[in-house]
Amino acid sequence: MSAGVMMLRGALGNRSLVIGLVLSLVFVGAALVSFAWVPQDVGAMDIPNRMQPPSGAHLLGTDHFGRDILSMIMVGARTSIAVAVVAVVIGMGLGVPLGLAAAARRGSLIDEVIMRGNDLVFAFPSLLIAIMITAVFGPSAVNAIIAIGIFNIPVFARLTRGAALSLWTRDYVLAARVAGKGAVRISAEHILPNVTNLLIVQGTIQFSLGILAEAALSYVGLGAQPPIPSWGRMLADSQTMISLAPHMAIFPGMAILLTVLGLNLMGDGLRDLFDPRIRRARQ
Amino acid sequence: MLRYVLKRLVSLVISLAVASLVIFLAIEVVPGDPAAYMLGLNAQPDTLAALRDQLGLNGTIPARYLSWIGGMLTGDFGTSYTYRTPVADMIGERMWISLPLALYALSLSTLIAFPAGVWAASRRGSAVDMGVMGVTQLGVAIPNFWFAMLMVLVFAINLRWFSAGGFAGWEQGFLAGMKSLTLPAIALALPQASILTRVMRSSLLDTLSEDFIRTARAKGLTRRQVLWRHALRNAMIPVLTIIGMQFSFLLAGAIIIENVFFLPGLGRLVFQAISARDLIVVESVLMLLVFAVIVVNFAVDVAYAAVDPRLRGRR
Amino acid sequence: MSLLRIEGLSLAIHDFAILHDVSLTVEPGQIVGVIGESGSGKSMTSLAVMQLLPDGAQATGRILLEGQDVLSLSEAELCRLRGRAMGMVFQEPMTALNPIQTIGDQVAETIRIHEKVSKSVARARARAALARVEMPEDRFPLSRYPHELSGGQRQRVVIAMAIALRPRLLIADEPTTALDVTTQAQILKLLKRLVQEDGMGLLMISHDLAVVADMADHLVIMRHGKVVEAGPSPALFHRLQHPYSKALLAASTHQPERAAQPQEIPLLEVRGVVRDYATAREGLWGKPGTFRAVDDVSFQIRRGESLGLVGESGCGKSTLTRAILGLEEVQAGEILLDGQPVFTGHKPNRAVRRRMQVVFQDPYGSFNPRHRVDRLVTEPFHLLDDPPRGAAREDAIAEALESVGLTPEDRYKYIHEFSGGQRQRIAIARALIIKPDLIILDEAVSALDVSIRAQILDLLADLGDRLGLTYLFISHDLSVVQQVTDRVLVMQSGKIVEQGETAAIFDAPRHAYTKQLLSATPRLPDMTAA
Repeated sequence: MSAGVMMLRGALGNRSLVIGLVLSLVFVGAALVSFAWVPQDVGAMDIPNRMQPPSGAHLLGTDHFGRDILSMIMVGARTSIAVAVVAVVIGMGLGVPLGLAAAARRGSLIDEVIMRGNDLVFAFPSLLIAIMITAVFGPSAVNAIIAIGIFNIPVFARLTRGAALSLWTRDYVLAARVAGKGAVRISAEHILPNVTNLLIVQGTIQFSLGILAEAALSYVGLGAQPPIPSWGRMLADSQTMISLAPHMAIFPGMAILLTVLGLNLMGDGLRDLFDPRIRRARQ
Repeated sequence: MLRYVLKRLVSLVISLAVASLVIFLAIEVVPGDPAAYMLGLNAQPDTLAALRDQLGLNGTIPARYLSWIGGMLTGDFGTSYTYRTPVADMIGERMWISLPLALYALSLSTLIAFPAGVWAASRRGSAVDMGVMGVTQLGVAIPNFWFAMLMVLVFAINLRWFSAGGFAGWEQGFLAGMKSLTLPAIALALPQASILTRVMRSSLLDTLSEDFIRTARAKGLTRRQVLWRHALRNAMIPVLTIIGMQFSFLLAGAIIIENVFFLPGLGRLVFQAISARDLIVVESVLMLLVFAVIVVNFAVDVAYAAVDPRLRGRR
Repeated sequence: MSLLRIEGLSLAIHDFAILHDVSLTVEPGQIVGVIGESGSGKSMTSLAVMQLLPDGAQATGRILLEGQDVLSLSEAELCRLRGRAMGMVFQEPMTALNPIQTIGDQVAETIRIHEKVSKSVARARARAALARVEMPEDRFPLSRYPHELSGGQRQRVVIAMAIALRPRLLIADEPTTALDVTTQAQILKLLKRLVQEDGMGLLMISHDLAVVADMADHLVIMRHGKVVEAGPSPALFHRLQHPYSKALLAASTHQPERAAQPQEIPLLEVRGVVRDYATAREGLWGKPGTFRAVDDVSFQIRRGESLGLVGESGCGKSTLTRAILGLEEVQAGEILLDGQPVFTGHKPNRAVRRRMQVVFQDPYGSFNPRHRVDRLVTEPFHLLDDPPRGAAREDAIAEALESVGLTPEDRYKYIHEFSGGQRQRIAIARALIIKPDLIILDEAVSALDVSIRAQILDLLADLGDRLGLTYLFISHDLSVVQQVTDRVLVMQSGKIVEQGETAAIFDAPRHAYTKQLLSATPRLPDMTAA
């Protein structure tokens, strides 16, 4: 049996991976479908029909402007996913090379500067970075991306450096050095491919954290601005009307919860799948 | 031990210096002229000059940085542009809501996570373990401010056990103050407790598979004795790291949760200051929060050394 | 009544059979050695006696400790036996102790778990136990932490914990495998003395025939979970019956045949090489110190020669290897291959590097798990200015794989599809592919079972004859070096303390350190007498 088939079998037999994948795909799918079709235009207000509970016409009810909540959630998924994905890309794009460089020059000045820089960024949770950026440039979804992305950098840099350091002590790296290969080439050929599994797992975790962070930022008004729908904003709008129309608070919150849960389950499942110790024990 | 603490202290001071520089540059240098930014487009030249003078914007950038730092060291955080009151007073008042809230939540999360993590690890694979893992999986995924809103709906609006928001004030007594903070603290603590439970469990399981645990079992220790005498303290090392990191998330989370409960803490202050373009207030609150995070991480580093003799170095 | 009697022990973990019908006995005061290669089930046998088996293990049969079947005891009863009636010492001393507890507390714990004594009494008895394992109070106070001790010292602490209550049975699972040869000799002597003093039975597990032959009164040879042969030692060596035991003994003393004679032309010249490392700063602002890992080392390797380099861990042999390979620049002296310097102008010299290759110890860590064999073995082509492409490359891969006894089709496989011995063959193929003059064998056979080791040594000897290779054979294992080298260098604390013809040095060592090493090396009983 080839390695690929074995991997596929392991994946299908892994319950958290399957459930997580299905949940995540539902929301990614909803976001994609929303580009082509939504039950109702999210820009259209319908004041007479405001704060309607769920019904046949509005599966998840309407908000305080009479907009269809299901459509809002579908379009809001775009914002959440886009912000979180770009933030992960920023974090990986900068964090992974920094981590590889720090590990390749272990104990050098570069390593020291990168690691101390990381410690410093860790002292600024993404909310503080967002506050700092927003205070100067005003709130926007782009600022939320930057804030969350900056916070992701040290996460990936630390993870990469830690894993790379242990790989640098392997004999196959020494063999590559004997073959005259330099640090950059070794990092690309031998280190990076062997940390990808870790990065994928951490990527899904940071993705889910990014969705939570984006929701929190737009809830306090530091993220996407109206009229762009976002889950955090929908919750902020629902807050004063929670006793009159609890469905306005419940459904967007469920959307966040289920997406994050799905991504976390997927991350756990991938970790089990990639970890050879566990995989061997299953066979 | 002393040398280790001194080393950490030096890096604490360096971190604070660099962090303050970052905040200063972001808030006072990047916008160009902060006075013009704060007053908006229609500012009169003489008001602008007056504000510049008041903010001390006429010196060189290094001089302004030093005087800002010097001021903070002597308790002078400058004067709020919108409220015309010393920033130090405004912060001082509101800090006594945000800080107790974060600490309350940290205690709750630790008190929940330790027993839950140990319980799950000691019964690995059992129904208890599965249950704890399932609940924490949900706890990690739930947005805390949404959970807070749901709690308001249930416990304040429907059951009327708590007030829906606002702060009773410490002058009403410690318990009244704590009661106002209870729902917010639970909302803050839930996700953190879930993360900490998972870390506690997996760290314990990792430690239980170490060689020295087998050695201890060969001495005749029962599984339970091995867990309490050998595994727990070793497992604390990664748990401490997470607790240190959680404090910064709790402080940041507190700022958001204050919004749900209309608590007059640092969060409300900073969001009002952002919409009023009151940069001095934003800058001071940021510095205070970063200071708290860095100091807590220093405390965690010292706690490491207390747990792990390898860090203390040779005597 | 025997102290320990194992009768028909079978063991399965999650339905995977590990042991089949194992029987053996240990009498009081007797040392029983259990020998086997990896996968023989020897460690599982010892863990079964302690009942410290992994989860999911199912044992049948009987394990009688002084007449009491441990398989029928409850967990609580087992806890009362462990540490008091039977103690155990493990392989890896570096991780066997709790890193955050003092050694005094850890030894005293054995006593306090089993006897209701005050803390001060327990500490006094822990003190005495440590003194018995030659860890005297003045040098090793009870307040020491494990990280402040060397591997050998830690193993003594583990032994002190195991014998603190004077158990009747001691089990030692590869107790010296992780240690240097001189430390190994001391620990073996200590165990022997404790057995004599206390009259306890010792069940000793080892992969090393020579270690056990020196120690044991009785031998048990295991393979694939079965006992293949057992009997009193050393007599057993002279009348082995089972083909496997005979093969095992033959492999342990195997002498590969080598035909080629070294030429009187120097290939590698090392002259006055010095390598210093910076050490941690003294105090907060102090200057970093230096540690001299290689101290004024000079030697030559002749073309076609096989030169041995022996020394214990930390003696500088790894640093010297890296310097020869051009991976690190040296502070003083020069390294020349065929008259060409390895380093020119702070840059490794590619023309020289492509004439040297290396084979490492660990067959599992030597290969990137994500590359196929063809990519793995062609990695040294990076050193060539014009590496072969297309058909020439395919031919080179096929030739290299065939020369080490693999098939050309193996190029399409990944490394996890090969056994340890096959991986070491691939490592040799990787070294051969650019047709080097010198191959450095850095503990290249140390991690292999003896039967596999013998095959690899034969392969190396054959390749050396056919291709006219020169070997630098680095090892901590003196018996292997004796079998395969023409000349030998002995290294201690960064210096070469003795060098000469292998036979001459092994027959009549001159330097005190060489004598110490040789006397510490465990030997098989002399077969020629039989």
